[in-house]
Amino acid sequence: MNPPNPTAVEEAPAETPPPRRPSLRLPRDRHALVDNFFRFQSLFGLVAVFLIAIAVSPVRNGENIFLSSGNLANIVRAVSEIGIIAVGMTFVILIGGIDLSVGAVLGLAAVGSATLMVDSGLGILPTVLIVLLIGTAFGATQGAIVARIGIQSFIVTLAGLQAARGIARMWSGGLGIPIAYGDGPQEAPEAFSLLSGSINGVLPVPAVLFIAIGIGALLLLRTTAFARHVYAIGGNEKAARLSGVPVRRVRIAVFAISGLLAALAGIIHAGQLNQGSPNDGSGYELDAIAAVVIGGTSLAGGSGSMGGTIAGALLLGILNNILALNNIDANVQLVVKGLVIVAAAALQKLRPRIS
Amino acid sequence: MRYARRAVAVLALTVLATTTACSVEKAGDGNGGTDAAAQCGSGKDFLIGMSQANNAEPYRQVMNDDITNAAKDVPGFKVVVSDAAQDNSKQVADVENFISQGINLLIISPNEAKPLTAVVKKAYDQGIPVIVLDRKVEGDAYTAFIGGDNVAIGKAAGEYYAKTLLPQGGKVVEISGLPGSTPAAERAQGFREGIAGNPKIEIVATQTAEWLREKGQSVMDAMLKAHPDIDAVYSHNDPMAEGAYLAAKAAGKESAIKFTGIDALPVPSGGIKAVEQGRLQATFQYPTGGREAIDMAKKILVDCQKDVPKTTTLGTTQITKENAAQVYTELGGKQ
Repeated sequence: MNPPNPTAVEEAPAETPPPRRPSLRLPRDRHALVDNFFRFQSLFGLVAVFLIAIAVSPVRNGENIFLSSGNLANIVRAVSEIGIIAVGMTFVILIGGIDLSVGAVLGLAAVGSATLMVDSGLGILPTVLIVLLIGTAFGATQGAIVARIGIQSFIVTLAGLQAARGIARMWSGGLGIPIAYGDGPQEAPEAFSLLSGSINGVLPVPAVLFIAIGIGALLLLRTTAFARHVYAIGGNEKAARLSGVPVRRVRIAVFAISGLLAALAGIIHAGQLNQGSPNDGSGYELDAIAAVVIGGTSLAGGSGSMGGTIAGALLLGILNNILALNNIDANVQLVVKGLVIVAAAALQKLRPRIS
Repeated sequence: MRYARRAVAVLALTVLATTTACSVEKAGDGNGGTDAAAQCGSGKDFLIGMSQANNAEPYRQVMNDDITNAAKDVPGFKVVVSDAAQDNSKQVADVENFISQGINLLIISPNEAKPLTAVVKKAYDQGIPVIVLDRKVEGDAYTAFIGGDNVAIGKAAGEYYAKTLLPQGGKVVEISGLPGSTPAAERAQGFREGIAGNPKIEIVATQTAEWLREKGQSVMDAMLKAHPDIDAVYSHNDPMAEGAYLAAKAAGKESAIKFTGIDALPVPSGGIKAVEQGRLQATFQYPTGGREAIDMAKKILVDCQKDVPKTTTLGTTQITKENAAQVYTELGGKQ
């Protein structure tokens, strides 16, 4: 008999170690099933974690604490900043890059929001516009350095992280700037505090922003030529260039998006905490990368989805919440989070390659 | 390249549209809720949430230990500790999770005042008694604040210099904490008040080492060169004093100079041990308030006491070689 025998491969159970063959050939329908499982891996993961959370949630007065509307709202609000950053990060990782500056840009934007309103007496709209512009310009500059000079984005954005923190500290004098509300001098417009409020008392505003931006980005990544170019650059940059993709400009645009969304997260941060501190957002870039990875986007670029990232961010939020509700020790929580990230990445490795 | 710009523009518009178009209600319209303290009494189980700003600081780890150890002696008390890892947002979420869990009392040592004020008020408005430790929140929507008095501690150190350490006067260098931080300013101010009684004591230099042991060492290196005739080093905390001691030792001057610190944590790497082992002459305890918080929680939850003091200021203990071993044991230090 001629090796290899396709039926033998077909009968290999799903639990076996990762296939050594470069391609796993399955009959069409079965292939589609397996492929769909891996495509929506993070969604299945999200549903699984959600169900587990319901099962293990403490119950008080007959009410499942995890499922209470207040708790679910808290979860989405708590992940909204990381989630918005992760949406931007997904674009960057899809082109095979990384953006380590987002946490620092968040801090810079939080300081900017507080300073412009409290010290400079600007209104909300000009403040928001200026801060978003700063974030976008910061991201675009990093993108331009990556694209024009050809330095790896890891290095450029590591430098950007330092620079953004430095600027934020200089701008704020090193201390957090508290935001007081009112009409007087040194006071911010009352409406800014709505960022910490809820629509109809149920849906937290940051959560709504996160979901809206997530859906917007998801549509953008499904329907536009820009999205196809993003995937093309991440898949094979040379081929993309040869087939006429404006690689440099797409790169710059992608980092600009990441900077824009980090700045938005910073505005939300300031509104939620009534303060802009230059140290805000430390380490947020790593949480955002974790959300993207759990969402199934490959750090090598070229494959992944926005839906996965949104699911990944929510999964992290549910995990944080259910561990806290069960009073798991803070140090153990860190270990559990680490294991989940590795497990999600390992699951990606099991994904059969489409030949 | 129009579409890439368009992509940014579309996202920017989404951002703006969602920011402006929503009708929104403000958070935290506290309706009073059920009064948790109303269910007080002995023989019941109580869940206490302890929201810590940052477990990575030894002082705060000792605070957690003080709270959990003290709670073990109260029947029915169960304490849950959360760690915000110095992130205000994380601490807000921690407190919200506590509220969801239905804690009977909240103890919080806030990372920063302003960002935590709203969520502390939210808990308080729902009838959860709130004890704030070490760092304050704004306003008065909490049950009680317990904290040390850094001016008094600095003053106690100054009086020790004036009367015991350098009664004949001498040259003192000051190694201060992070510039702009309240404890650093207050420990400096109190010290000056304390040494005022002995005009022969002179502060010849003040340098910051930002609370850090390694910076204490490098700062002391430099000051030894500028002032070779230093008599004593007043450090705003123990680790910086230890760093300064190492620098003096490297220069062969450790026995000619006297070192004092502040904090006196009952841990093997803390100031009490350094005094016991003779590296520091004295240190002054900055109390965590952990035991006092549990005492107060007992008064509120078990004894049904309605009026606990709004502000409790804790005193300090002077630790010298004579009492170091005894205080270490009293504070529950690990051997």
